[in-house]
Amino acid sequence: MGNPLLVFWKSLFDAEDEPRSRRATLRIAAASSAQASATIFLILRRMRTPLIVLIVIFAVSVLGLAIIPGQDLDGRPARMGFFDAFYFMSYTASTIGFGELPNPFTYSQRMWVTISIYLTVIGWAYAIGSLLALVQDRAFRSALALQHFSRKVARLREPFVLVAGYGRTGELLGHSLDGLGRRIVVLDHDSERIDGLELDSYHADVPGLAADARDPGHLAVAGLDHPSCEAVVALTDDEEANLAIVMAAALLRPELPVIARVTSHALAERMQAFGDPSLVNPFDRFGDHLRLALRAPASYQLLTWLESGPGGELTTRGAPPRDGRWVICGYGRLGRELSADLRAEGLEVSIIDDSPEDADDPALLVGDGTDPWVLAQGDLDRAVGLVAGTGNDTTNLSLVAAARRSRPGLFIVARQNRPASAPLFAAMDIDALLVPSEVVAHEVYGQLSTPLLWRFLREMPGRGDAWAAGLIDRLTAVCGTRLQALWKVRLNRSEAPALGAWLASGSARLGDLLRNPEDREEPLRALVLLVLRRGEATLAPDDDFVLEAGDELLLAGRPGARRALGTVLHVEPVLEYVLSGRRVPSSWIWRKLTRTPVAGADSRQ
Amino acid sequence: MNLEKVVFGFFVVLAATLNFGFFIGDISDPALHNPFELFAAVVVNLIATVLKFGDRTQIGAVHLATSLVAVLQLVAAALAYGYAEYVSTAGMNESWTASVVSLSGGALLANLVSIVLLVVETVSFHRG
Repeated sequence: MGNPLLVFWKSLFDAEDEPRSRRATLRIAAASSAQASATIFLILRRMRTPLIVLIVIFAVSVLGLAIIPGQDLDGRPARMGFFDAFYFMSYTASTIGFGELPNPFTYSQRMWVTISIYLTVIGWAYAIGSLLALVQDRAFRSALALQHFSRKVARLREPFVLVAGYGRTGELLGHSLDGLGRRIVVLDHDSERIDGLELDSYHADVPGLAADARDPGHLAVAGLDHPSCEAVVALTDDEEANLAIVMAAALLRPELPVIARVTSHALAERMQAFGDPSLVNPFDRFGDHLRLALRAPASYQLLTWLESGPGGELTTRGAPPRDGRWVICGYGRLGRELSADLRAEGLEVSIIDDSPEDADDPALLVGDGTDPWVLAQGDLDRAVGLVAGTGNDTTNLSLVAAARRSRPGLFIVARQNRPASAPLFAAMDIDALLVPSEVVAHEVYGQLSTPLLWRFLREMPGRGDAWAAGLIDRLTAVCGTRLQALWKVRLNRSEAPALGAWLASGSARLGDLLRNPEDREEPLRALVLLVLRRGEATLAPDDDFVLEAGDELLLAGRPGARRALGTVLHVEPVLEYVLSGRRVPSSWIWRKLTRTPVAGADSRQ
Repeated sequence: MNLEKVVFGFFVVLAATLNFGFFIGDISDPALHNPFELFAAVVVNLIATVLKFGDRTQIGAVHLATSLVAVLQLVAAALAYGYAEYVSTAGMNESWTASVVSLSGGALLANLVSIVLLVVETVSFHRG
């Protein structure tokens, strides 16, 4: 059975080359919302019996009152009409009780009313009780939550990031993105985390759903098929679930960027089979960071600062030993990565683990690392650095304490597994602390914030340590030790309408533009980190850099400077003042009267 | 035999028959239209409507819609009857009777559609 109109419509428009995947996701979303409405139907079905009981009780009571003969004030026989009976039963059943209307009842009527009072009270209690039980029902509440959530997501008009898995990492990432003014949608199987979302201090409203992200239907409801969805981030602590999310996103929306957290190489390979997801391995990344920290402490310092998001504090620059022996305690995923990375740097490594899975490494020593004797066996007295990298925070802390006692000047790298241990590790004053959730959050933030920042972070280590140290000095001069706003500007007609003629002149020096529009003698408190021109990046250009139309600029600086620069880019008289120091009237009439030519205005006529 | 189907069919048919019983007769003669029958028709129609709650099929949705129409018309008829009896000074005269009965006639049409749907559903039900 089919609706002929629908069939016609289908045959008319199905020929269009609409992507197949798009239709598939739409279908999935529809199936999922149908699931929600199915629960509502179930609830309606369950209300059948109480409602019918109520109707029957009312009908019987009203009918009885209408049949039983009564009498009026003068003692003449008078029956109650249906309206009188219904009116009386309504106020009696709802325990309001106005008394015997319109006439005092006879005894036969009172007997009937006594019975009906008990009947109706039971009927009401049953109906209201069932209704309240339904409202408390888990299935009903989750169906309501799903509907509420899907409505919120469907109404989103701004671009948003779909974050699957809202643990510590998701929270950090959410706050960094929120600080940039970006919207996120959250999916997590733990309803407590989703409830916690309401207590979190976000600027924007964050829709969250407690559901299994492995289900493509839930992903679709969370906005996988939404046109404004700009990226999918899989951050659950279950690797299989991350793989399922990567698969769903790659198959249903192949054009969307996907970022997934992964710690095992086997799963990373399986994920890579689906499209081109960007994979973040916290141990791998930390190993790279440690290598960078060993080779170029200032570059590492700049990297961590920029990755920490708006409001991030500048960390102190460490001075890790460049040569000597390292002792690595714990030969798990982190231990393997770090031993490979340190060896690649040409450093000697000895490894201690109490129960290694495969003892293939010649430098491996089996034993309990917290035992001073075992540590001594690992050549601790000749070592320059120690890695406390087991999966247990207590062990890591006691490793650090034991190593410090025998060799106070050791460079300590430690892994913090649980967020609750953070104050203990902070009190230990660790030289390089690995918090896997933070590494992942910072990395994903770097990739998602703006493509320019990601580009900058990737190219920056190649510039050398001295360059990075110089840039840190320039940055701290502009915005202090706390990272302020980070924004990008594209020098085109819509984002910088005032700049047209100046850019075309070919002598548009960057230093001339970055001046305070209140007083041009003062420089603007902002720094250009990167200029992207036709795919080529120039990192931290100096004041003599010549800008061209179409350049993309990544700037860091104070929020006030961002507003000031916005004014300069949009208002021609302000630009004129900043460039030349001439005050130009801003109104058209006054300009005509004083016959002042304006650089930007002339170019358009 | 399914007891639920028996109850459902019983109420749908009873709603239509009671409605028919009230409707039949000279449209303007109050003596031919018993208010008790109207009351019974309203109650049975209400029950039939509630029985149709929560059916997700297409035919179930149309069932519910026809029942809602019938209830709406019958409640309107009952209100008109109450107004004529208690509020209007004219009482249950010919024109009031005619409007009450014609409203119930509309409900009868909806109930007939309901019965047709019931029959269609039964006929199109294939065993195995």
